[in-house]
Amino acid sequence: MSELKIVGHSPSRIDGLDKVSGAAVFVDDMDFGPNLLHAEIVESPHAHALIRSIDTSEAESMPGVVKVVTGEDYPYTFGLYMKDRYVFARDRVRFVGEQVAAVIARDPKTAKRAARKVKVEYEELPSVLDLSEALKPGATLVHPELGEYECCPWFFPRGGTNIAHWRKTRKGDMQKGFAEADHILEDTYTVPRYAHCAIEPHVIVGRFDAGDRLTLWSASQSPYTQRHVMAEALAPFGLKHKDIRIITPYVGGGFGGKAGVSMEIIGAVLAIAVKGYPVKVRWNRAQEFYNTYQRQGVVARIKLGAKKDGTITAIEHTMHWDAGAYVEYGANVVNAAGLSATGPYRVPNVKIDSVCVYTNLPCGGPYRGFGYSEFHFGLESHVTRMAQELGMDPVEFRKKNAIAPGDTLPYGAKMNPGNLQEAIDKVATAVEWGKKEEPGGPGKVTGKGFALFWKAPAMPPNAASAAFLKFNEDGSVNIAVSGMEIGQGLLTVLAQIAGEVLTVPISKIRVETPDTDRNAYEWQTVGSHVTWGCGNAVRSAAMEAREKIFDTVHRAKGLKKESLYLEAEHVKSTDDPAVALPLKDFVIDGIMVEDGTWRGGPILASGMFMPEFTSATGDPETSQGGHPNVHYTVGAAAASIEIDTETGKVRVLKAVLAADVGKAINPVLVEGQIFGGLLQGLGTVLYEEIKYGKDGRLLNANFTDYKIPTAMDTPDEIVPIIIETPQPDGPFGARGVGEHTMIPAPPIVANAVADATGLRIKSLPITAEKIALALKGIDYESVRGNYMGLCFKGRPEDYEFKTG
Amino acid sequence: MKKIARRTVTLTLNGETRTVDVSPSDILLDVLREKLGVKSPKAGCERGDCGVCTVLLDGKPVRSCLILAIEADGHEITTVEGLGKDGMTPLQQAFIERNAFQCGFCAPGIVLAATALLNENPNPTDQEIREALSGNLCRCTGYDSIVEAIKAASRGGRDE
Amino acid sequence: MPLVQEFDYLKPATLGKAIKALAGRQGAQVLAGGTDLIAWLADDMADPGLLVDIKGIKGLGKIKISRGEVSIGCLVTFSDLLTSSRIRKKAPLLWEVAGRVASTGIRNRATVVGNICSAVPCTDAGTALLVYDAVMDVRGPDGKREIPLDEWFLGPRETSLKPGEIATGVRFGLPEGKSGACWAKLGRYRGEDLAQASVAVLVSGDYEYKIAFGAVAPRPIRGREMEKRLEGRPLSDALIEEVTALVPETIAPITDIRATREYRLEMVKVMLGRSLLAAVARRGGLSPKYGTSVI
Repeated sequence: MSELKIVGHSPSRIDGLDKVSGAAVFVDDMDFGPNLLHAEIVESPHAHALIRSIDTSEAESMPGVVKVVTGEDYPYTFGLYMKDRYVFARDRVRFVGEQVAAVIARDPKTAKRAARKVKVEYEELPSVLDLSEALKPGATLVHPELGEYECCPWFFPRGGTNIAHWRKTRKGDMQKGFAEADHILEDTYTVPRYAHCAIEPHVIVGRFDAGDRLTLWSASQSPYTQRHVMAEALAPFGLKHKDIRIITPYVGGGFGGKAGVSMEIIGAVLAIAVKGYPVKVRWNRAQEFYNTYQRQGVVARIKLGAKKDGTITAIEHTMHWDAGAYVEYGANVVNAAGLSATGPYRVPNVKIDSVCVYTNLPCGGPYRGFGYSEFHFGLESHVTRMAQELGMDPVEFRKKNAIAPGDTLPYGAKMNPGNLQEAIDKVATAVEWGKKEEPGGPGKVTGKGFALFWKAPAMPPNAASAAFLKFNEDGSVNIAVSGMEIGQGLLTVLAQIAGEVLTVPISKIRVETPDTDRNAYEWQTVGSHVTWGCGNAVRSAAMEAREKIFDTVHRAKGLKKESLYLEAEHVKSTDDPAVALPLKDFVIDGIMVEDGTWRGGPILASGMFMPEFTSATGDPETSQGGHPNVHYTVGAAAASIEIDTETGKVRVLKAVLAADVGKAINPVLVEGQIFGGLLQGLGTVLYEEIKYGKDGRLLNANFTDYKIPTAMDTPDEIVPIIIETPQPDGPFGARGVGEHTMIPAPPIVANAVADATGLRIKSLPITAEKIALALKGIDYESVRGNYMGLCFKGRPEDYEFKTG
Repeated sequence: MKKIARRTVTLTLNGETRTVDVSPSDILLDVLREKLGVKSPKAGCERGDCGVCTVLLDGKPVRSCLILAIEADGHEITTVEGLGKDGMTPLQQAFIERNAFQCGFCAPGIVLAATALLNENPNPTDQEIREALSGNLCRCTGYDSIVEAIKAASRGGRDE
Repeated sequence: MPLVQEFDYLKPATLGKAIKALAGRQGAQVLAGGTDLIAWLADDMADPGLLVDIKGIKGLGKIKISRGEVSIGCLVTFSDLLTSSRIRKKAPLLWEVAGRVASTGIRNRATVVGNICSAVPCTDAGTALLVYDAVMDVRGPDGKREIPLDEWFLGPRETSLKPGEIATGVRFGLPEGKSGACWAKLGRYRGEDLAQASVAVLVSGDYEYKIAFGAVAPRPIRGREMEKRLEGRPLSDALIEEVTALVPETIAPITDIRATREYRLEMVKVMLGRSLLAAVARRGGLSPKYGTSVI
């Protein structure tokens, strides 16, 4: 392959000017004229209650109120992988803050005032706020009708219980595996819920016009999937897919929270309720915390067996997930973890049980890492402990067991390319593994921690991407995709891919944000897969355009197609060095031939990429068979920290992360993911903490008391390392990396804290408070008060893994 | 309820005198966005914690979500729309060239906070930059790319 | 998103008119910086009916230092303190406090007196000014009065201010001779945070110590017993241990969503020891420099 001119380089983002000048338009910035109506939601104050009655009469009679709707009006379920949600709660509410009714008014103030006048009578039910209670026989059921819910064929709900899904992976022979082990280590770890905290809150504007056309402007990662979920749910209104148009401009951060359909369906039904008027539903920050997806909490038990030379013989990993009131999306997080919770290791004997449990807390759902962020904390803490108990260096232990291309995955398929050994070596070198750092003063101690990570996109086996591409009169290009620009730089990367193929500089390529009427299909911008999937589609479209260009030149000039190539926006021929046809001359007009007639015309193309090798046909009892995950991106990370033993405060001196991305289409953007993801991950281990009261109400639904990293909280140094072992089916060899950079942060810190202080903390977050109290011999669990971060309040070792 | 009289507010917005009718309880952020046509200050938390509502009031960064529109009467407000009227400033150029931002939602607030910082302190240290930005939350970038761009701008765009 | 409340708004030009306006409407509130009040209204915690904006009254925004007394007008913001070279020189404790209040955008509006009037248990200005034996100046329908700061705080969000009164400023005397001080504010991370616990120490003259604690009781408090033990004595490890042992009986922290009682107790001990050492060092012109956090 000749040297790449655009791919592999780091041109400035094509949306940089828009964002720095204030020109970038987000949904809430759009103007809809004086007829824009505003909605305010009436929310449940209870975690679990029957709705006895709703009196909307006073609200309806207020001047300025246009309409009031309740769950009565919408007997339609929806959901991405399982249909377990109504648009508004109907017979019962299942979490504090759940939407019960909505007031639509001429102005937001009136809507707010009127919402307070809606009178709802509840009859409280026992709340399911404890995982072990939820799993006991005879437990209160969050979804008594679970057995009747429609769900995708690779989910296994247990009607009559609170188990919404149970993914089992079984490989080899566990008895034999543990018998072969010289040492077995078993322990439990807990990880609480977390909030995405994208800076832009969720917002949607809907307009159902007189021609029965529903248009939605949505801050979403997934316009086409939103359209699909809504088309299915709203079919009773007579709407079909073609009647719904979803437009998504720039999105102010997603991290998974703006995937799927959460509050957006409210905008859709309200638009239908006030035909002819645009209506806006905008979440405030508190609602952003308690009424969108949260990252689920999990209690995980790991039993690891290894020989004295460090070879892993068996892993048994059981995870009970606090999945919340509705799991239409979150059940797939549980599923994804259930397939891959061995971590990136060669393990001959595997038993994974990943149990998705309904609870009366907000919905769990997709969050950067999608189950992998959640399970790597326990797993990588456990791996380091095993190494130490064997008297082995934790890095050596990992090198010995690291999965390699061609190895068998937990569910039987084969591992894709990716150089974990190189990642481990480079990270170990960069963090100076083995060298004890000098503490910066009295009372301070230092330590280092290491972790591996892997993740595959967790998608249905037919998640496709597509692209439309066309040339303009000046030789510039428009590309219309539905992959979302959520900050990762997708638009720029796609322009680079097309530019490389067509030899057009990216300053002449516009990549348009989605409009489901005009842009080609994309399943969702999740799973770290769009550089790969949508990138493939764009490359395919660019190649088709190139084909058409060569065809036109061939027919007009008689030159052999095989002799043609593109260079610097010109068509050239190896047969005749004098040939240099500027693209702009003919990509719209065509080429005139001798007799004055024309050949060719506007060059436009399309591309589509569907991974045709994936399948979700694994055996329900073992997950063996099929190829559920397209490929994994692997990597390693390490942290060097200093702890003030009096205060427990952790200072990250250095954080190193290496990811094998196949091919960095834009290296600076990949580094952006490493810097951003690491810091987001460090937030979850060092101070981010969701706190629920015992009534299930979220107590810190604001930035005052849910602290996310500021510019003062960055590590002293971050070392990003890019490794490139090509992905054969990726555009120019690329694989994804968006989520991966967050995954190893908690275990590298946990392992570093253990290295520095001897404290092994098995529940997140590892705050200064926990460390300081532990160092003073005070047991945090017994003094923490009545707050909980997931539906389990207690020491990890107190959780009994019983399922009925 | 007794009807509260609306007031006329006159302010200088991005160099231009503007007049708008407000109710005393109207928030400056909302009036800027809905009545005065500037969309760059955003609503992120509406409690003064996240900084995306930042505007310059008489040259100083403030939280427009915690200011009543009526308090702006007689004052000067600058938003990002007003900074780049004659082309991007060197600071904005540095942000663009270095791919400092990702989703861009926090960018207007940070551009203003950094502009105010460099006006007061043309050669800030790394610590001073981070302190000046400590009230502007960014979830995407990890901040280092933003801090590096500000440093580059303060060195006149030169790389060190 | 708009406020639900409707209220009238006045911006009088004189203090007299402001007091009259407040008297004319029950529940009316004073608006200065607004960073606390507007957030309070946005959370629907009050329905004032009338806001009296005092930012138009001349003379209330001054920092005066003369004849050993510092006087801070009620419109002085934390940014004003931070950029005042006189405050940095003469009352460096306040300069250090100001630098750790919230962030620039808030400091440019939030007033010192407003922070004291909010009387939240974690008040930064209210806690630090206790060590200066500061006095609040108040004006109301019955004229002027002054209230010593340690009689000001009655409980969370409760002060001695009577309805219709306006706090016009706070003043305190500067210690004579050499002095050193230290402000320690415990947060959950390095970014801006409300204090989980705070300690202010002022040492002056012949080792006269003043100590105050914030966020560890319903209101900020002085450690008077500790001050007695320390009086006249240069610091030593044994002395620090002696006063640190008094922490559990001096403060009354609770467990809330920000921190546990136990962590607050342990940290106040650490912060007290470090603040005493820093204050004494600074009194001698030694490091740590003001502005360097000891916690």
